[in-house]
Amino acid sequence: MATIRTRSRGREMLLRLSAYLTILVALILTLFPVYWIAANSFKFDIDIFAVPPEWLPRNPTLKHYDEAFIQRPFLRYALNSFLVAAGTTAISVTFGTMAGYALARFSYPWQWRKQISFWILSTRMMPPIVSIIPLYLFFNYFDMLNTKSALIIAYTAFNLPFATWMMKSYFQDLPVELEEAAIVDGDTRWGAFLHVALPLARPGLAATAIFCLIISWNEFLLSLVITLTEQSQTLPIGIAGRVTQYKTYWGEISAAGFMACVPIVIFAFIVQKHLVRGLSLGAVKG
Amino acid sequence: MASVRFDNVTKKFGEFVAVHDFNLEIRDKEFLVLLGPSGCGKTTTMRMVAGLEEATSGDIFINSDRINDVLPKYRDVAMVFQSYALYPHLSVEDNIGYPLKIRKVPPEEYKRRITEVARRVELDTMLKRLPKELSGGQRQRVALARAIVRTPRVFLMDEPLSNLDAKLRTQMRAELKHLQHELQVTTIYVTHDQIEAMTLAHRVAVMNRGVIEQLGTPREIYNDPRTLFVAGFIGSPPMNLIPGEVKDGVFASAGLRVGGAGHVSIPRAVLGVRPEDVHVVNPEDPDVNLVAPIYSVELTGENTLVSLQLGGRLMTLRADKNFAGQIDQRVGTRIETDRMFLFDAETERRVDIQN
Repeated sequence: MATIRTRSRGREMLLRLSAYLTILVALILTLFPVYWIAANSFKFDIDIFAVPPEWLPRNPTLKHYDEAFIQRPFLRYALNSFLVAAGTTAISVTFGTMAGYALARFSYPWQWRKQISFWILSTRMMPPIVSIIPLYLFFNYFDMLNTKSALIIAYTAFNLPFATWMMKSYFQDLPVELEEAAIVDGDTRWGAFLHVALPLARPGLAATAIFCLIISWNEFLLSLVITLTEQSQTLPIGIAGRVTQYKTYWGEISAAGFMACVPIVIFAFIVQKHLVRGLSLGAVKG
Repeated sequence: MASVRFDNVTKKFGEFVAVHDFNLEIRDKEFLVLLGPSGCGKTTTMRMVAGLEEATSGDIFINSDRINDVLPKYRDVAMVFQSYALYPHLSVEDNIGYPLKIRKVPPEEYKRRITEVARRVELDTMLKRLPKELSGGQRQRVALARAIVRTPRVFLMDEPLSNLDAKLRTQMRAELKHLQHELQVTTIYVTHDQIEAMTLAHRVAVMNRGVIEQLGTPREIYNDPRTLFVAGFIGSPPMNLIPGEVKDGVFASAGLRVGGAGHVSIPRAVLGVRPEDVHVVNPEDPDVNLVAPIYSVELTGENTLVSLQLGGRLMTLRADKNFAGQIDQRVGTRIETDRMFLFDAETERRVDIQN
């Protein structure tokens, strides 16, 4: 008995060790680029390309932050990004939630629930670049090029199907008796949605919101085509703009890039608790 | 004060007929149990009263009001769900108070009624807890409290006890019966458990395939089953149902002959007899109906269930707790002919025996 126990304990240790090693490798792979951006943002241009690499900034400087956020309009880009992402997320989550609820709960004649759901999803099936020229012409026609509203509309078109599907599956996982109980208790359908379904769907809301937020915050292609002015361009475009014909401003790119990560990370930390449950959807019953 | 009436109510889901041409009047203050196997339409029938399903045709009345097109909130019924359907994000107090809050009951009365109801179901010390912090029995009580907090016209209960363990179920059953007696509110109770039906109901409606097979008091249903289905569904252990033939008042099946059925003849018949109406007798006894080997002997405590091998099937009888027979031993039995039933296997209806 004793030998068996020691052997299995040794095995256990080995398993645990290899698990930690795997996690460590994964962490280095994912976090090193972030660290490298952060480190470079505090280095002088000459040190960024030092051989051998300078792992820690030897002469830390805030020079690139000054260039990006004081001398160049990166604060403006950040504000644009924030407004566009917030607007898109608010609209997508609001309407996605209601549409998702309707698809999850209401009865439809024939196979319409399936058809409508698929139709909504199908708008996500083409590569976004396919719709760029029509969108450009559309916004041009309505004189909306170079506006944040155009970006919000375009991003919502991409985020809404996603939000709808996510909330639909979330509502489908909520036991329908809870809303039925509310209705028999004297509430209206809308009341049951508001008082019972919506509070219980909070994890789903949080997960959907952060996905919408990340997608619009990081979006590059549409913003590149639709916006040209400082008043409307978002951070990714601003950052890419520092790759110029003659020189790539790595320091500025690093400073702005690092700062661009911060809001999303903070937001993810805030909703993390809900996020885990939202992502596991049906796996964990609330 | 409320009676509920179904007039020719039919409910279809697509092509499937869940409830077929249903007629029933539930009297004021009555405790009516809808009893039947799963899929017999009993829950659908109840949900139509709650307003959670719409009748495909026919009329449903509460008192003299036709409620088919009335929104659930104006029907003034309360429902206890099988899963309890407690709002998981609300405390016990808020769960119980939900119907009052929706009706904008003033705060002092709100407080008073919740305290009163909570005390009645012994939850007064747990008002601040969340449903997940309660035991099964306590959750059940919250669901009940939420139903009685506003004295509705009709209570609807959908298998409210089926998620409880056996001991708690017996206790809650008694509490439910007492509560209904005290509150005097018309109650429709759905269950597939015939013991619940027998113990709780003023009247039982036994349902099968969307229709009522028989409606009557528990005693009538037990002592006077009108159909083969009711005979087989009610009673534990169930009634022995033995196929055979009746010729001029004598039932005959493999190894079994029972007389005393007047002068009826049924080519394809089923004999029904409850385990307690079959007695062990000496195989040599002159009025023995059957001599058969014992298949199993089960002591339940108050008596002994004895199964006999009869052709390819078993016949169960309830013997004295001191019954000492052994497996494979041959015993004689006598059937109480005035307590037996004969059914026509074609129509599945009972055939009256005139003596």
